Amino acid sequence: MSTQTKAAAERDDGRLTGIVDSDVHPNFANGLRDLNPYMSETWRQRLGIGGGADWTSRFAAASYVLPLDYLYINTAGAYRSDAAREDMAPATDAAFTAEHLLDAHGIDRAVLIAGHLLGIGAFPDPDVAATVASAYNEWMIERWLQVDQRYRGALVVAPQDPEAAVREIERVAGRPGIVAVFMPLHEILMGERHYNPIYEAAQRHALPVVVHPSGTENVFARAPRMAGTPTYYIEWHTALAQIHQSNLLSLICHGVFERFPELKVVIAEGGFAWAAETMWKLDRDWQGLRDEVPWVKRPPSEYVREHVRFTTQPFVEPHKREHVATLLEMVYAEETLLYSSDYPHWDFDDPHRALASVSPELRRRICVDNPRRLYGDRL
Amino acid sequence: MTKHVIGSVDAFPPGSSQVIDVSGRSVGVFNDGGRLHALRNVCPHHGAPLCRGSVSGLMLPSRPHEYRYSGDAEEHRVLRCPWHGYEFRLVDGTSVTNPARMRVKTYKVEVEGDEVVLYV
Repeated sequence: MSTQTKAAAERDDGRLTGIVDSDVHPNFANGLRDLNPYMSETWRQRLGIGGGADWTSRFAAASYVLPLDYLYINTAGAYRSDAAREDMAPATDAAFTAEHLLDAHGIDRAVLIAGHLLGIGAFPDPDVAATVASAYNEWMIERWLQVDQRYRGALVVAPQDPEAAVREIERVAGRPGIVAVFMPLHEILMGERHYNPIYEAAQRHALPVVVHPSGTENVFARAPRMAGTPTYYIEWHTALAQIHQSNLLSLICHGVFERFPELKVVIAEGGFAWAAETMWKLDRDWQGLRDEVPWVKRPPSEYVREHVRFTTQPFVEPHKREHVATLLEMVYAEETLLYSSDYPHWDFDDPHRALASVSPELRRRICVDNPRRLYGDRL
Repeated sequence: MTKHVIGSVDAFPPGSSQVIDVSGRSVGVFNDGGRLHALRNVCPHHGAPLCRGSVSGLMLPSRPHEYRYSGDAEEHRVLRCPWHGYEFRLVDGTSVTNPARMRVKTYKVEVEGDEVVLYV
């Protein structure tokens, strides 16, 4: 069956078409070494990745490794094992992923978010972070965006050095397929003026700023901090929303959206149910505490609805199915939610199955209309 | 509207506030820098005794990380509820944050001769 006939058949089935997946992770097969062709000999030496992967590279302090989730593990595997093939780890091959994710799940566009670079905000050396980010951007463009026209990319910046981040945005923003800036999280909350240059550049290029959990939370000194140190992966994984809640509060209370009125922020994989209470509580507190932050000129929930988007995965599964609709209404899902699969991670959401309890009209908003409005013509 | 003589001018010096009962209503009378204001002593939010709150100027809407205080310009003088800190303008009782939907009843209060007169 030709692609066109297949698409038409799906429409006849009443299946949604034009779906945008806002959170897909392209992975390295051999860690940082995959970036060797995209950085100078000087930096390969500096990072200790210039030579072969001999026995020394398996020990700490011989070469840099990417800050990731080393202290919390999922014994079932953090990846979809059905996304692996013999000698091929999940999401390390753009053509295979296009077939396995896009074709198989009826997804029209996939926004790629920094597979193994999620945690580079934890690097103590800002130049290391910036160099790795820059090499990754070239890798993503060459190995993914140029392989299948359905991929779109979030260019990565290093949050430690906003001026270097701006230079990277200027360098990469105009490349075909770039639709967002991925800003790895750092120990400094998102509302602080530290990040203003990044927001200014993102706004100027009409690129939303995307944030995402990384696994570095509480593991590294410069990573975002949680309340206490969880013992188990399940605790850690469920508690990730704390960080996004703190960052959302910081963005609103520092008046970031007053300073950058066109800026959009995407909270990917941070949950969204908590946003309902956060909006209510902020709106209420603002009425009595407004004078501390007089630049917050409108009820805080209005900034959230206008400027902040949340990705859906892992989608909520309330005990009562009817609560899905209630919850989506509470968080203004028709404006704020973007479908995401989180491929190839273990807690993947298929757009048709995971959102089966959502009305067709709202599902269209979440999967098609909201992302198209957000990313605009670049999509 | 009934006229009530509530005391001599000397009893309401600048900076003072008094809560008085008039025809079964609790009303706060404020002398804010020589200007008299009277508001109903019930916060429209949760029913707190509003007029036990404090009178001040207003932190005006400003650019991020800058503060602009109103000082004593009459239109920016507010009464802050003692319970949740909601601000209401002394001139007309409107809420600073939600003027379209939240307002405290205000009453006419005037000096007539050497008496303060409240109309409820």
